[in-house]
Amino acid sequence: MLEKWKLREVIVLSVLAVVFAVVYLVFLQFGNVLYGVFGLIGYDLIFGIWFIVSIIAAYIIRKPGAALLSETIAAAIEVMIGNAVGPRLILSGMIQGIGAEAVFAAARWNNYRTWVLIAAGMGSSVTSFIWGYFISGYAALSPSYVTAMFFVRLISGALLAGLLGKWLSESLAKTGALSSFPIGKEQRRRKSENGFTA
Amino acid sequence: MLLHDINPSIKALTVIVCVLILSVFFDPVTPMLTLAVTAAATFIFGKVSFKRWILLFSPFIFMALIYIWSALIFSRTHEGETILWSWGILILTEESLQRALSLGLRVLSFTSLSLLFILTTKPSEFLLSLMQQCRLPPKLAYGIMAGYRFLPLMKEEFEIIRSAHRIRGVPKARSLPEKIAELKRYAVPLLAGAIRKAERTAMAMESKGFTGDKNRNYYHKIAVSPKDWLFFAFFIAMVLASAYISWFFGFLQLYNGEL
Repeated sequence: MLEKWKLREVIVLSVLAVVFAVVYLVFLQFGNVLYGVFGLIGYDLIFGIWFIVSIIAAYIIRKPGAALLSETIAAAIEVMIGNAVGPRLILSGMIQGIGAEAVFAAARWNNYRTWVLIAAGMGSSVTSFIWGYFISGYAALSPSYVTAMFFVRLISGALLAGLLGKWLSESLAKTGALSSFPIGKEQRRRKSENGFTA
Repeated sequence: MLLHDINPSIKALTVIVCVLILSVFFDPVTPMLTLAVTAAATFIFGKVSFKRWILLFSPFIFMALIYIWSALIFSRTHEGETILWSWGILILTEESLQRALSLGLRVLSFTSLSLLFILTTKPSEFLLSLMQQCRLPPKLAYGIMAGYRFLPLMKEEFEIIRSAHRIRGVPKARSLPEKIAELKRYAVPLLAGAIRKAERTAMAMESKGFTGDKNRNYYHKIAVSPKDWLFFAFFIAMVLASAYISWFFGFLQLYNGEL
């Protein structure tokens, strides 16, 4: 899979994963605060943030595997920096990545419109929820609570991963740092269509 | 013999297998024994100072206490459990205390194993070992190494951006929308800088002849020797022995999804 990747794409992917691993760890503390206030559903409110690197990496690099790989590396870096969950977190990262990757795959890795990005964020919500259901024993909670958790996570995935990821990627593209990536080219094309020269 | 000399891939495998075995059991004794032996090994064979270890370990003690606390408060008491203490709606039974302790010690034993790995392994050696023993593609491994190197650089850059904002008189964010705008003001230039640097790094690597070919040779070779497998066997045996002792005293239980 990686043979078809250019070196700069691989390194940009790794850098994104490392940066967001740190962001993820910060949000874990924030999640613990929300957990204290709202109970288990507190995590679901911000769960989408933990999928954001999938969306950003896929939207920028636009190659098969970008979503899965970035999320897995981010989880591995989280473990390397130090995390109570331990190596199991790598598996969680992979499962979250698979959810987003499946949506991009269904769009044949050539459609990166807003709704696809939102669906990808929601895809991660679905796979991570199924995983959480079994590993964290959600079965012990009341069904209506679990349903509420699921919908909160779905919305969180759509907004915090899908839309925030898209917005952040486009803000980055505007700086010109992504000019050699598909997203930068798309932006230039859009500009010239509007009568501006890039 | 030092833990630093153990092959990093095998050390990681040992930690993962130990965690998997531990996660099957649910009792206070097995994780407690594992925790004690792992911590002792980290001090004696890892030459890690207690101060450094406890600094990283203490947040997890705090977390374990929260776990124990919530397991005590929110645990469902079942009929026929021995009541140790009760105060209003709070009922402490022997069984719920044991569940809470199991949960807390479980987290701590996982942490001690993770710390044994983290404190005695250099990330770069771990990645070299993953490449040489586990066939991780060099493109990815060197990419992650470069990314890891960027973290301290980004911290520096963050300071620079902050000073730049201060010099130009950007007011301190107070309300929530201002805080979000501030976050964007930091996040976008930081990320853009990192991406630019990543591209330059890739260019430098390619200009020096890096192709990402798997059949490359290494200046720094990481080998596997029998002592690495001895280490692996010792730790697995240690966890199983802990479980055996726990079983011998009648504590051992299998885990079925308690939270």
